[in-house]
Amino acid sequence: KAPEAEEGQSQDPPELREQRARATLRERYLRSLLAMVGHPVSFTLHEGVHVTAQFGATDLDVANFYVSQLQTPLGVQAEALLRCSDVISYSFKP
Amino acid sequence: MSEWTKKSPLEWEDYVYKEVRVIASEKKEYKGWLLTTDPVSANIVLVNFLEDGSLSVTGIMGHSVQTVETVSEADPRVREQLAHLFTSADCKGYSP
Amino acid sequence: NHHRSAEPPSEKPGERRQAEMKHLYGDSAPKILAMEAAVQLSFDKYCDKKQPKYWPVIPLKF
Repeated sequence: KAPEAEEGQSQDPPELREQRARATLRERYLRSLLAMVGHPVSFTLHEGVHVTAQFGATDLDVANFYVSQLQTPLGVQAEALLRCSDVISYSFKP
Repeated sequence: MSEWTKKSPLEWEDYVYKEVRVIASEKKEYKGWLLTTDPVSANIVLVNFLEDGSLSVTGIMGHSVQTVETVSEADPRVREQLAHLFTSADCKGYSP
Repeated sequence: NHHRSAEPPSEKPGERRQAEMKHLYGDSAPKILAMEAAVQLSFDKYCDKKQPKYWPVIPLKF
């Protein structure tokens, strides 16, 4: 849609610009995950379920969140996996 | 599902540093400065500056994103702060 | 030895992934690959050590 003329990088081939954008976005995302390690995170799940837990790790595709001290409506689970497909959003304070 | 997951990295990059409003599944609504969109999962990361000077970071799963609209253009001061968020200094000691 | 040349050239494990990463991320591929490896390793370690169970047991959404 938009013409290719844009800022100073316009002479680079589109493939290169796309690779660069993808790398920047991915690196930032991975860094944001690393910054979350060890922090309390609150998760908004489907069906109006809210839980909080200490964030541990995710797998590469962010298909699962490994958490500890998960506060569920029925008590605390020492460690758990949350399915990304159950999650709408998560938030934390860095 | 949503158009969002099908965008290209260059389209996602267009939203970086802008203030956006995201509508997600179950009518959830989020507003904040967009830090990044993961090109693998299409998850969006928003940053909000709280009144006490601290930050709040929200990730919205790509699969639940319905619409993303720009509220305001990138502000140079916000851009500066976001650019330095989560840079290498913060990731030291990362290991389980 | 008796191998015929009909076999594909031996592909080292990870080589295909590297090529894929190079295609996606260009010159930044090694950096992204290294970060991803750290992320995945951490996840695998936790799962091996703690054997976490899914919560909730039944997915909320299919």
